[in-house]
Amino acid sequence: MLKNFIYICMGAGLLACSSVTTIHTSAERVEVNSVYDHENRIDSIVQPYKKDLEKEMLEVIAHADHDFTKGRPNGTLNNWATDALLDNQLRTSKGQRQVMSLLNVGGLRNPISKGDVTVGDIFKLMPFDNNVVWVEMPIEVLPEIEAYLRKRGGEPVGMVKIEKGKIRFLDPISNSKTFWIITSDYLMNGGDNMSFFEKKVSFENDGVLLRDVFLEEVKMQKVLRYNNEERITFE
Amino acid sequence: MMERRDFLRNTVVVSAGVLVAPSLFAKGTSNSENHLTILHTNDTHSNIDPFPENHSRYPGKGGVARRFELINKIRAEEENVLLLDAGDIFQGTPYFNRYGGVLEMRLMSELGYDAATMGNHDFDAGIDGFVKARQYAKFPFLCSNYDFTNTAIDGHTDDTFIVQKGNIKVGIFGVGVELKGLVPDDKYKETVYIDPIDIANDRARDLKKQGCDLIICLSHLGYEYGSDKVSDRVFAQKTRNIHLIIGGHTHTFLEKPTEEKNLDGETVLVNQVGWAGINVGRIDFQFEKKAFAKKDVLIVE
Repeated sequence: MLKNFIYICMGAGLLACSSVTTIHTSAERVEVNSVYDHENRIDSIVQPYKKDLEKEMLEVIAHADHDFTKGRPNGTLNNWATDALLDNQLRTSKGQRQVMSLLNVGGLRNPISKGDVTVGDIFKLMPFDNNVVWVEMPIEVLPEIEAYLRKRGGEPVGMVKIEKGKIRFLDPISNSKTFWIITSDYLMNGGDNMSFFEKKVSFENDGVLLRDVFLEEVKMQKVLRYNNEERITFE
Repeated sequence: MMERRDFLRNTVVVSAGVLVAPSLFAKGTSNSENHLTILHTNDTHSNIDPFPENHSRYPGKGGVARRFELINKIRAEEENVLLLDAGDIFQGTPYFNRYGGVLEMRLMSELGYDAATMGNHDFDAGIDGFVKARQYAKFPFLCSNYDFTNTAIDGHTDDTFIVQKGNIKVGIFGVGVELKGLVPDDKYKETVYIDPIDIANDRARDLKKQGCDLIICLSHLGYEYGSDKVSDRVFAQKTRNIHLIIGGHTHTFLEKPTEEKNLDGETVLVNQVGWAGINVGRIDFQFEKKAFAKKDVLIVE
């Protein structure tokens, strides 16, 4: 039979001289769960990494005198995060620019609780590897951003006040045709439906992680700066 | 778990109705040399430990040590097993942030992965970061539509991979998603993305010419899009000679593989099993010995 097969294949000059042809298939999705709990050599490979990581994640880098929580329109975590971002980014001057910071409530993934603040807490707050970006926006887009913020019921902002829904820069530069939003690349690229970023004039991305910025600021502050001002009002 | 016996019974029932004389077929099934089990993952995203028990969506699911147990159990039951991954091995837990993907590669090697392709997040440690972690991988990375010529990755990936499992010769290649806009430019540097369809047709034809019985494409294109962006479903329809597309990128949880028709009207299976190592996909192929080679026919139970 096999001889016969090879003979026919060669004789016919077929491209694929397979010994098997028709294929029957069946499929299933197998869930990885506690059914498969069993001490094995994977655990022993992971263990040193895990121990090391836990040590790093448990390192206390600051103290919080209050709970920092997110909220709409305002939250103490909102204020902390947008201010930390500004402090960090304005330390190295980018020239005379009209600036505000903007993050999203959804992106602040975990509150900071009163007490010790660990590296792990900041990883929980910002688990994503989003980069910090500076986005140059035409001043005419402000009403669109105001409408967005009103619709959302507020998002974390810094260097601005939003009074009855209107954005007011704390440090206004007259006759500026554009302004800069310091935010994350995730939001700039349309995350959380911030489609107004499509109207950007330019942007700068230095490849700095938002989480690293937070870590840096937490370490510098030692005691986290608590600010419960009501930055946003709509009525 | 699927019992092998059920699988065989199903196979016979279907083949009796659709194909050939059951007596002929029964001979084939008695031979485990004609049986191949494909196990696959995608978008594991550095999830080494299971999700915590208080996780809002996937409490206590996943974990590499458990995946190891699961795979070993199947290896003990089946003669011919292939273990494949469709990319985005990196990024998602501090394990990646701190160790740059080294642990992920070490563990995949320990699990006995046969091949993987690169996802967009596998560029997250940069070109050099990937090469550094890649040293710990004892399996090939298959990338056909990225031109790495002017980058440090050049020479660290393969175009195609052929492996003999029992009587079955398997040919595998891989395609990846367009990186621009998805990955910061400085991460992928001078990597050039090439439209995957023409390349895939070339690779699949080459593999067929080399006598492969089963041709698998590891894809990080994504399952489907609302736009005309090339997805696995579109890719399946616009190519020929591919039997199975193991997909990733969109974190799609498919219950079972989707069947598409390729350019020649033949069936192509497209599968994807979510992300984070919550699931392992399993696809069993039973090949039938025939007197002479005709066009391949894929029968899906």
